[in-house]
Amino acid sequence: MNELLDTIVPPFDEPADWDDVLRRARARRAPRRLVLAAVVVGAALVVGPALGVLLTRDTTPRLPADADKRNVVVVVQPLTGRILVQAAPWKGHDGICYLMLSERAGCVPRTPRATLVLTSPITGYTFDERVVSGTALTLAGKRVPLQLVHFPKLAVTFFFRRGRLPLLFKEVALRDAAGHVVVRQVLRR
Amino acid sequence: MVDRLEALYRARVQEFRRVAAAIAGDRELGCDAVQEAFAKAVRSAGRFDGSGTLEAWVWRIVVNAARDARRRTRPGDPSPSNSLLQGTSGEPSADGQVPLDALTERQREIVFLHYYADLDYAAIADALAISPGTVGATLNAARSRLRGALEEVRT
Repeated sequence: MNELLDTIVPPFDEPADWDDVLRRARARRAPRRLVLAAVVVGAALVVGPALGVLLTRDTTPRLPADADKRNVVVVVQPLTGRILVQAAPWKGHDGICYLMLSERAGCVPRTPRATLVLTSPITGYTFDERVVSGTALTLAGKRVPLQLVHFPKLAVTFFFRRGRLPLLFKEVALRDAAGHVVVRQVLRR
Repeated sequence: MVDRLEALYRARVQEFRRVAAAIAGDRELGCDAVQEAFAKAVRSAGRFDGSGTLEAWVWRIVVNAARDARRRTRPGDPSPSNSLLQGTSGEPSADGQVPLDALTERQREIVFLHYYADLDYAAIADALAISPGTVGATLNAARSRLRGALEEVRT
């Protein structure tokens, strides 16, 4: 058997070359580093834009996606042109979706007496259908009239202060047609 | 660890080459496979867990490298000038030599690990990740096959 096998693969007598082994071992390490670098670069290319979008994304509130965008109403401060309120019917619900002062947004179900007041400047809404006028009371005790805008289709009334001067307020009072206060909200600081 | 690999390489490189050449079907491919296998062993030295012998671990790498070299030689390619594959389908070649193709790949590996590297059944089993019993049975079948092929050549 050994003779037979010797004829098939004769013995080798070429000298050993350990240096070649070491060269090959080192040569394969470089591509691995290149692959690693390529992976890092690739990851940066993929993750970078996503991270950029994340970091630069406009995080200011927007009118909620559930708002019926075909029926948006807008309340504009007449003296400054600033959009104080955007509102629209809440799709699939009896209520509204709103964006006020570009800082607060949400969708709320219609409840007969629900009222929300924001400050700086005073802006708010009420579902109370009795409300026809309103005033805000400054810290100095002066009453300042509020301007009201009623949207029949949304069955909501928005109010805001007309003047430009920044004032500190401690209370908002909304009145019915008879002049009775039907909503009173103390403002917290 | 690299020192031990170098010592093993210098002590047994000709046996490694012979087995690798037999498995790869070509002397140059076999030599190259041994160089690549030892380079891989050097790179992977940290992964040797010591559960078996270092030599068995290296044999496994060499056998795999030789298998890869053989697979890279597609059937349709012209045979290298010093190819050991001198026939097809187990037929003796015209010059009377017994072709390696007379054996299956598993038989070839076991025969040459046993005869060329002088490994016992346990070491072969360790190198090929099979049982010693399988080594014995496969070796007997390979011997019979080679004897039959040799008798055909002589008649």
